[in-house]
Amino acid sequence: MRYIFGLYWRLIGVQIRSQVQYRFNLFTDVLATALVTITVFISLAFIFERFGTIAGWNLSEVAFLYGMVETAFGVMDMLFSGFDPQNFGRQVRLGRLDQLLLRPVNITLQVLGSEFIIRRVGRIFQGIIILTFSVHSLQIDWSIMKMSYLPIVFASLVAFFGGLFIIGATITFWTLESIEVINILTYGGAEMMSYPMSIYPLGMRRFFTYVIPAIFLMYYPAIYFLDKGDPLGLPFNANFFAPIAGFGVF
Amino acid sequence: MRVFWELTRRSFQRQVTYRAATIAGLLTNFFFGMLRASVLIGLYGQREVVAGIDIREAVTYTGVSQAVIGLLSLFSWVELMNTVYTGAVASDLIKPMSYYRFWLAQDLGRAVAQFGFRAVPIMIGYALVFDITYPHSLEQWLALAIVVVMAWLISFSFRFLINLAAFWMPNATGIIRFGFVLMSFFSGFIMPLRFFPEWFVRLSSFTPFPYMVNTVVEVYLGLVSGRGLMLALFAQIIWAIVLILVGKLVLRAGIRRLVILGG
Repeated sequence: MRYIFGLYWRLIGVQIRSQVQYRFNLFTDVLATALVTITVFISLAFIFERFGTIAGWNLSEVAFLYGMVETAFGVMDMLFSGFDPQNFGRQVRLGRLDQLLLRPVNITLQVLGSEFIIRRVGRIFQGIIILTFSVHSLQIDWSIMKMSYLPIVFASLVAFFGGLFIIGATITFWTLESIEVINILTYGGAEMMSYPMSIYPLGMRRFFTYVIPAIFLMYYPAIYFLDKGDPLGLPFNANFFAPIAGFGVF
Repeated sequence: MRVFWELTRRSFQRQVTYRAATIAGLLTNFFFGMLRASVLIGLYGQREVVAGIDIREAVTYTGVSQAVIGLLSLFSWVELMNTVYTGAVASDLIKPMSYYRFWLAQDLGRAVAQFGFRAVPIMIGYALVFDITYPHSLEQWLALAIVVVMAWLISFSFRFLINLAAFWMPNATGIIRFGFVLMSFFSGFIMPLRFFPEWFVRLSSFTPFPYMVNTVVEVYLGLVSGRGLMLALFAQIIWAIVLILVGKLVLRAGIRRLVILGG
């Protein structure tokens, strides 16, 4: 175990050192990445100023969804960049994966250590700010139950997105080009989960409930945290399914 | 001029060769369009008209803005930067053709392919799934065509300009990404600019960005016409000229700096 972590740190360390070399580029990169999240959020704030609510959710409540998803996706993207289907597909095509397979170390560990992108910090940081804003303005009634469930939901989200990345990555063994379609599940899933699920058409919602259980990861836990009613009316209490769905996909 | 069209044609062919990638991109753009349409429908709720845009037009807006992603290359474009780092820029520069036109021709081919195989299918898909609006007169179609071409020209000259950063920096991805973020924020791609506060709209009108996406959308929806249309077109022309001139100036300075070893 010590050996594995040591090795992982060493692989990551190389990545970090090489990226820090171009300091100005790293700075603009982090800034640009953070700006993506923040500009989308500012746009959202403008929109809510005009519209008020979406399906009964106000800006602070949507910010809770958005902040959680952005932070979790950012953390995942940092840890699992090696499995980013675009990047992984390229490695497979160039035959670099074969190189890794020859080495006498666990392949998952090597892929995880093969890419670590510092600029994701920008996204995580902005996600946290948005989440803080949301929690601050919502005045959630924090019970011990909620306090302890929040980190679990977060971990489940990270595992869920990570699982999707790995699924997408393995698909590239069969496809020639890295396929953009998987982005529908990863980036599309993240975008979708940033809003209350009740706004989507039925077919889409079913797909993201039964095929990809995205709905259990953010929408239902959020309903619990924010004490909201569920207009979709599942026949059972789905608020606590996040860990099952998240780690199941993983 | 013959070389120009030849380059355009080659670039077009390169784009259409990867059929699976084209379809995948199409599906992705369409899916995101559906998401964005759902969000707007959810926001509208019982409302009929907001900021002069009714719900049908709002849904159409998501279609048009998704349709132009490929055409205007809204998310990323680092082809020129890459040639600087691989050294291919050297052989491009000694070609008996202006460097600017060399890239313009290729980007035109790319844009035409993206128009035919992305923009049009997305709009057809939208027409099948949603109840969308269409330009309702010949003049409006004509205006749309002109505005789209100008939007492409502005987009190209802007992308060309930020890619030139590669002549100065060992890694320009950060600064280029920065440019694209500004572009999507001010262009009205995230949401129609009309929904934003007035001060923001005024601020954005001092940048070239709204003349890429927002103008195209507004002309398509018929939100601007007559004098407003003329003004928008005028602004597009001015920005295209400014960006091309600045691009050429910066290019000249960049080439002077360029040192290529080996041979």
